[in-house]
Amino acid sequence: MSYRDRILIVEDEKNIAGFMTTILTSNGYEVLHAETGAEALMLVSSHCPDAMILDLGLPDMDGQRIIRTVREWSQLPILVVSARSHERDKVSALDLGADDYVTKPFGTGELLARLRTALRHAHNRDAEESLIQRGKFTAGDLCVDFDKRRVYVRGEDAKLTQNEYRIVALLAKYAGRVLTYDYLISQIWGPNASGDNRILRVNMANIRRKIEPKPGQSQYIFTEMGVGYRMIEDD
Amino acid sequence: MKTDNHRLFFRKYLSFSWHDTLITLLIMSVTTVFCLYLRIFHGGDSYMSGFYILSVFLIARSTSGYLYSVFSSFLSVILVNYLFTYPYFSFNFTLPGYPLMIMCMLIVAVITGMMTSQLMKQNDLRIKAEKEKTRGNLLRAVSHDLRTPLTSILGASSTLMENDASLDPAERRLLLAGIKDDAQWLIRMVENLLSVTRIDGTSSTRITKTEEPAEEVIDESLQKFHKRFPDTEVQVSIPDELIMIPMDPLLIEQVIINLLENAALHAGSAVHIHIKLESQQDFALFTVSDDGRGIDPRILPHIFESGIHTIDAERSDQRRNMGIGLSVCDTIIRAHGGQMHAANADEGGAVFTFTLPIEEAHV
Repeated sequence: MSYRDRILIVEDEKNIAGFMTTILTSNGYEVLHAETGAEALMLVSSHCPDAMILDLGLPDMDGQRIIRTVREWSQLPILVVSARSHERDKVSALDLGADDYVTKPFGTGELLARLRTALRHAHNRDAEESLIQRGKFTAGDLCVDFDKRRVYVRGEDAKLTQNEYRIVALLAKYAGRVLTYDYLISQIWGPNASGDNRILRVNMANIRRKIEPKPGQSQYIFTEMGVGYRMIEDD
Repeated sequence: MKTDNHRLFFRKYLSFSWHDTLITLLIMSVTTVFCLYLRIFHGGDSYMSGFYILSVFLIARSTSGYLYSVFSSFLSVILVNYLFTYPYFSFNFTLPGYPLMIMCMLIVAVITGMMTSQLMKQNDLRIKAEKEKTRGNLLRAVSHDLRTPLTSILGASSTLMENDASLDPAERRLLLAGIKDDAQWLIRMVENLLSVTRIDGTSSTRITKTEEPAEEVIDESLQKFHKRFPDTEVQVSIPDELIMIPMDPLLIEQVIINLLENAALHAGSAVHIHIKLESQQDFALFTVSDDGRGIDPRILPHIFESGIHTIDAERSDQRRNMGIGLSVCDTIIRAHGGQMHAANADEGGAVFTFTLPIEEAHV
């Protein structure tokens, strides 16, 4: 691979930025580093990075504002880094257009996986934006057939209802990425659906009883408590 | 400065609240109706002021500050004069002994008000002192426990830096593994402390609850647990129906993870862990059991206490974070209005159960 993806790390803690730089460089990425929000915005416009890893707790600028500013003119994938207890920040960052998040403290494997997913979705964005999804999604024994609008587990039809299928298909389309409750609800039940996510949770409980082999230990659709759901990456 | 004092004084003693206004009006009107009833059916009016003094006392007791009690004592004097003193339904303040009665009512109002506010202040102080004590205990236990892993991290990392040339790869790996292990332990400890600050005190109103499916909380806890203990099998039993529980999901997750880790750390990887969710009538029952060597019967009665003594007693043969982890669990569950129990199973192994008040949704 001659072209190396260029990643912008926005992080004011020197030690954390240092170890992220080391992992990313040794995994074949080119790394830019900004310590402040202002510097980050400047680097985004001057160096056109392929993705941004953004710590929400910056000294000079609110992370949400950076996301909003960047989203005004760029589809650059944004991976948010935040502390555990701030799930509301995560949700609003995602709703503002961030692509995904990792929670501090995170492992290096997790960071790389999230980054790969964000980059892949960015590269396939044109294909994803077409309304009709074609082909198949396969992960383990799970297979989502977008043409037949059916979900199979070990080759057998899981007999999902219309809405259940649409939820699974949407999660599969963005496999590896977290989708927020609000996003899922507005996509399935329309933008005017009530803000109560109970109906989604009930549907998800039914889906899990149909596709997950072990109750309480999901293998395909993961819970991100307080944020949303994430489908496992395809094989 | 002076206006500030005035404002403070005003807020403390003369503050207005709809709740207190309602109480005052209610007590005053009940007394008045009762007295009118008495006069019509029993005749006589000499004992009416006694009832009004009682009502002033009650108002002073159940409202805050002096505003309402003083107001009601004046109102009482006026009402007694107007309704229950001859000539009825007109004012006459020239009767003998009247200034004395007004004084009496006022003194009752002020003294009761003072006593009440003092009682409340004492109660506040007591609660605050208790909170401080638990916080102090926890802090002492924690800082005691933080020192050990920090020392080992510092030692290992400086060994790595200073003896870079003389270490062989195996030794280097061992030191690094130690650093990683200790760092992970520190993270868990800090996570527990964060949970405690999220509760902030012991009242159940302080946590923000949302309705979450119990199975999703178990699901996510297991995911996180398996990140740290990938080889430990956990058997899960959940009912077919969906159980929605109002809770702070991060805190409940913390409880489940703490219990799972306790089980895993206790008897090595040979242990079988079982987590079970059941719905009882108006609460959900979570059970985390293992077939390890169980809980030492000597510490069983104190297992949820966060004091140093439990931790010191365990330190010799058990992992160090157990004491704090379990006391955090207990605090979290109690803040949710549930209960937590620890016991040894007859067939061996520890059994931890906790309950959470429920709201059920049948699928």
